[in-house]
Amino acid sequence: MIILLRHNGVMDQATIASVQPAQVQEPDLADDTAVDRPWIVIVWNDPINLMSYVTFVFQKLFGYSLEKATELMLDVHNKGRAVVSNGTRERAEFDVYRLHEHGLWATMEHESL
Amino acid sequence: MKNDYPIARTKHGKFRIDLHDDHREVLLELIEQFRESLTSANHEANLRRLFPTAYHNDAKADAEYQRLMRDELLASRLASAEVASNVIANKNEISAEEMDAFTRSVNSLRLVLGTSLDIAESDYGAKADDTGDSRDDDDAGDTDETEIQRELYEYLGWLLEWCVMAQSEPT
Repeated sequence: MIILLRHNGVMDQATIASVQPAQVQEPDLADDTAVDRPWIVIVWNDPINLMSYVTFVFQKLFGYSLEKATELMLDVHNKGRAVVSNGTRERAEFDVYRLHEHGLWATMEHESL
Repeated sequence: MKNDYPIARTKHGKFRIDLHDDHREVLLELIEQFRESLTSANHEANLRRLFPTAYHNDAKADAEYQRLMRDELLASRLASAEVASNVIANKNEISAEEMDAFTRSVNSLRLVLGTSLDIAESDYGAKADDTGDSRDDDDAGDTDETEIQRELYEYLGWLLEWCVMAQSEPT
């Protein structure tokens, strides 16, 4: 669709002059891929938070079973980090905020390809 | 006997808090100091764990996130601290919402103290040595203030465990 710019209903000369075939900009496929990729929320190990508390928070915020929450907590403790949720950017930011509210160090990033 | 079960779930989804009066006094003082730190113009470095980065590999996105969310997080912490303060000062039976705010405040206090004490993973093995009779063994360089902070840190850990246990009990 061609959209013509008008000033007060009258197309001026400058506008006419500017309506020229333009070089088509190729889409940046890398950026598109990044936009489509889901976001992941990572909880990082912290020497202060209690293991029982971290497990409890995972259950409370994400509804995980005790087994799943414990598994994630142990990943955080032993491997230094664990992916606890994923989704849209808005969802990930919401989860990060709730985890911060509970004193856990959470970050978000695009899921790796 | 007090403190056998300092926090427990009661009927109708509520919780009972049974703390010694002197423990309540100490907790109130800690929370008051915490609120003052949160509202001071210059946040102390000890509060850094309460306001962590959200985008650890994207400084620009993190700056934007902090611009949008930091005040909300601060307000949430202050609101929880206010609820916790009221619970400690006035209540023995509290709602699930009050229990939630109390738990988060206890954890926040523990994070601040742990940061101040520079707690590391390796400290867990030494934790047992820091309690009980070993208090008589003065570590060189340990100030009285540090000693008090350590005791408070251990106490808050104990209290937090009870908070978690009580809320994990089946309703």
